[in-house]
Amino acid sequence: MVDNNQLREAVKKTISRDDVKYVVGYEKGTYGFQTTPCFAYKPEDADKFIFSPLCVHNLSVFPMLEEKPPLRKGEEPDKRKIGVVVKGCDSRAIVQILQEKGLDRDKVVIIGIPCTGVVDPKKLEKMFPGHIKNVEVKDDDDKFAVTVDGKTQKIQKSELIPDKCKTCEYPTPILYDILIGKEIKSNKNEDYKKVNEFEKKSLKDKWEYWEKQFDKCIRCYACRNACPLCYCKECMVDQLNPQWVRRSVNISENTAWNLLRAFHLAGRCIGCGQCERSCPMDIPLMELNKKIEKEIREMFEYEAGVNAEEKPLLAMFKPDDPEEFIL
Amino acid sequence: MTEKFEPNIIGFLCNWCSYAGADLAGTSRIKYPPNIKSIRVMCSGRVDPVFILEALKKGADGVLVAGCHPGDCHYQSGNYKTNRRIKLLKKLLGELAIDPDRVKFEYVSASEGQKFASVVTEFVDELKKMGPNPLKEVKV
Repeated sequence: MVDNNQLREAVKKTISRDDVKYVVGYEKGTYGFQTTPCFAYKPEDADKFIFSPLCVHNLSVFPMLEEKPPLRKGEEPDKRKIGVVVKGCDSRAIVQILQEKGLDRDKVVIIGIPCTGVVDPKKLEKMFPGHIKNVEVKDDDDKFAVTVDGKTQKIQKSELIPDKCKTCEYPTPILYDILIGKEIKSNKNEDYKKVNEFEKKSLKDKWEYWEKQFDKCIRCYACRNACPLCYCKECMVDQLNPQWVRRSVNISENTAWNLLRAFHLAGRCIGCGQCERSCPMDIPLMELNKKIEKEIREMFEYEAGVNAEEKPLLAMFKPDDPEEFIL
Repeated sequence: MTEKFEPNIIGFLCNWCSYAGADLAGTSRIKYPPNIKSIRVMCSGRVDPVFILEALKKGADGVLVAGCHPGDCHYQSGNYKTNRRIKLLKKLLGELAIDPDRVKFEYVSASEGQKFASVVTEFVDELKKMGPNPLKEVKV
């Protein structure tokens, strides 16, 4: 359980520094099961910051979303830092961005929160349908205490947490400047159960499954926008000449988009699950990401977002990479 | 019907080895099926997975990427990096039920005209067994 007062103190201290532009964190959302990202520009703003199991967003997208307008003559660039409140998985995203040199380490102040798992808003909404008043969710050992309309219910964590939290190996942020609360050690292990099961299916069954899923895709690119690692200045789907992916929504274009999205995250995806959470059509995008993650672990013994000093997976090689055929 | 099916293959051939290998196959008058349309790239490392997907989407039944043997790359390490990339792409295609064997990565050096011919022949035979590519663009 994270002490909100401690968090607010830390945010206040950070934003009081002269070299910090703003701090991104979570605040209570306007309705239902939501929290929203919020910004603190002044020390007073820190009072609205919270952390609860409802804080599902990955805020490490914000330093990358920063707009850099062209400077006027004689104008100095803004060199101030950005503060980010991160959970374990979010910190891996920052590590990965640092590894790719998308961001300088001294451009961010990281406020780390050890997290024991967040709530899957879709699962919670199914449990309490149509609820629009504010709901409180508290962490209580292996249960969540959900308060709806003044009544508190205790629900087993395993019923509410998303799949990514069930196998989370890094509950404590890998990289942080300030840590709120105590470090947590994970006893969970990524076993790729779903991936292994799916692999056993025949090609025909697999295609039947994915055809149904990709047929739903409306190509809103929410998965891309929510992803902390999709920060290309111009995404390949927005390119017009050459136009790799057509605008039309049909099965072959949808397949191409989803495949390319997954491939562009090969060796970079840190498994925060934002793509799947933000998908309005409930396409299980994490299954693709996990599949690649598993193959990379097996073939190249590499894990994304753990070591900022390492070289990116696809930018290096080892002479003893596994071969499928004899030369 | 299946006997009449002639697969379309797009070949991305590296300028320094495989393209010269294909050239050698031609000048030595080695026979191989005409199903392959070759595109010369400066290095197999130039082949972005986007190219492969675009080819499959536009109606190719198979894509062949050919580069120099390990250690022979004109740019030192291009072929090693492609190797990693193509391997991952194949795994992903397999997950999505597009037969991963539709994409092939081979090492063909400039002196291996015979190997180039046999690679293409084998690939065409395999693709004939697999049938047309399901990802082909739906024409509206």
